[in-house]
Amino acid sequence: MVGCVQVEDRAVTLSNERNSIERTYELTKYLDHQLKEIKDTYLLYLGPPFSDPDFSPPRPNISSLAVPSAATRVDLWRGLENGARLAQNQRAYSVLLCAVRELARSTLCPYLQSSLLHFCSGLSGLLGSISGLMNALGYTPPLPTDGHAPLTTPALSPRPALNDFTRKVEGFWVLRELQSWLWRSAKDFTRLKKRLRA
Amino acid sequence: MDYSCVFPQQLDKNNSRNTSDAVKMALSISTLSLLILLPHALTSTSHLAVISPQDPALPIGSSLTVLCAVSAELGLAASSLYWTLNGRRLARSTYTVLSPTELSVTLHRLNGSQQQSGDNLVCHSDNGDVLAGSCIYVGMPPEKPDNLSCWSRNTKDLSCRWSPGGQGETYISTKYILKYKLRWYGKEKECQDYNVGQPYTCYIPRDLAIFTPYEIWVEASNQLGSATSDVIILDILDVVTTDPPPDVHVTRLGELDDQLSVRWASPPALKDFLFQAKYQIRYRLEDSAEWKVVDDVGNQTSCRLAGLKPGTVYFVQVRCNPVGIYGSKKTGIWSDWSHPTAASTPNSKRLQTGSCDPKSEEHNSTLRQELKQFFGWVRKHTYGCTNVSIKLYDQWRVWLQKAHKTRNLVLQSGKS
Repeated sequence: MVGCVQVEDRAVTLSNERNSIERTYELTKYLDHQLKEIKDTYLLYLGPPFSDPDFSPPRPNISSLAVPSAATRVDLWRGLENGARLAQNQRAYSVLLCAVRELARSTLCPYLQSSLLHFCSGLSGLLGSISGLMNALGYTPPLPTDGHAPLTTPALSPRPALNDFTRKVEGFWVLRELQSWLWRSAKDFTRLKKRLRA
Repeated sequence: MDYSCVFPQQLDKNNSRNTSDAVKMALSISTLSLLILLPHALTSTSHLAVISPQDPALPIGSSLTVLCAVSAELGLAASSLYWTLNGRRLARSTYTVLSPTELSVTLHRLNGSQQQSGDNLVCHSDNGDVLAGSCIYVGMPPEKPDNLSCWSRNTKDLSCRWSPGGQGETYISTKYILKYKLRWYGKEKECQDYNVGQPYTCYIPRDLAIFTPYEIWVEASNQLGSATSDVIILDILDVVTTDPPPDVHVTRLGELDDQLSVRWASPPALKDFLFQAKYQIRYRLEDSAEWKVVDDVGNQTSCRLAGLKPGTVYFVQVRCNPVGIYGSKKTGIWSDWSHPTAASTPNSKRLQTGSCDPKSEEHNSTLRQELKQFFGWVRKHTYGCTNVSIKLYDQWRVWLQKAHKTRNLVLQSGKS
């Protein structure tokens, strides 16, 4: 009898988690949609060649882009443990949230600035969602979720960009990384949902 | 705070969404299945090349020479490099090779920057890779801001607006700071909330003194210079406005087809500080753009509009001016107009009678002409018919109509 009760509890808990994952997935899709609009406006703000369709400057090696790469080998991706999968997402968005905040701060255009800040609150929500999920599923306690996560590599402390052009390139890449991660997260959460059903 | 910059345009959404889900899927699958081993050099810009000057700010029409010094370890020849400005390649005739690793370009008669974030001047290797870039800011120093005016809502706050002066476009980021201080007390303060709703505006929400004047001015500055507006001096109580009157109702006055009754409530702030308010009404026909203004409404909260057209829809608005604030004789600033309220006058009660007048005027005029001519001839060629004229004919017609009516009445009364 006791065993049956435990199983029931677990089923309910898992069902809650699946709902959470579904909501987080929805949030990811929503942010992805928002990002498209902001990115287009931001690229116009940067001006050509940033707004040209095929433009791709070299990726800066700086702390605000020290995110786990969204792109990864298929076998590695499939093999990710639920906890590790969530942790990667959490780490990526922690860093990216800081980066977008900095982007907003240095934007000259008030309209764009408020759009970016609004987007930041969405990102912050996503981060909270992921941390909540990690907690609920019993994984490693998350890093502080306010977007100012202490960096695990203290050597890469944030420094101001050398010049305005470099700052533009960094901004360009922050938004590009963000886009990659939102695409990837959608797949991560879909996979998580499948795994929890098993 | 500056304001003019990129506004979201109707971007070609189809293009950006052509990365359809199918393509995205293919992209991500291929990305996921790729063994990514990026050479370290391609992920770092820090030492590919150095450009100078970095981020220069120049007046429109200037010339500028920019140098690209490429890192020796890349093994690139300066002569193989090229420059682009805002994505467009610059002519080789403007380049100068200064050394095996240094290439410069000279720009003449620069136009105002294409975007406020700066024009993008980029040094490329021969295969198109970005080696380094510099943002160029070409513009003008700000002109003296003018038309500075301020108003207070219910004596609690202060909103100010100004114009940028001159052409208004400086092409580079220009900051405006609104400053204010009490006239006889030295401490200067800065307004914090800019562009609340509209550009070149600022809002001071609290901590304002009344019964004592303020000095207010705007300072504009950018990388090329600065300018200060004239100082205006005002007492908050002289520039007070209030909310439009709430609860505006427009109703008919019984059967009267040319009048409407307008009623409203006084703005709530009235009881807090105003001695009295005066009102103004305006109204227009539904499909007209011309407003008629009723000025002498005084401080009543109702008014009767007369001389209107029957059976017509009118739009009516009311606004309020706070007068005699704390006993002063001055008027304040008119509030916004209330939301338009619509009402219609009743249709006219008069019968749509068929005209008793002869209908076919055209027939009569030909007939009358002929008759006139006939009578003229009769007068000339007969004896004793000197009184014959068209007037006689008209009299006969009148008599005929009366006789016709009487006959009809008799007939009708006969029927009933």
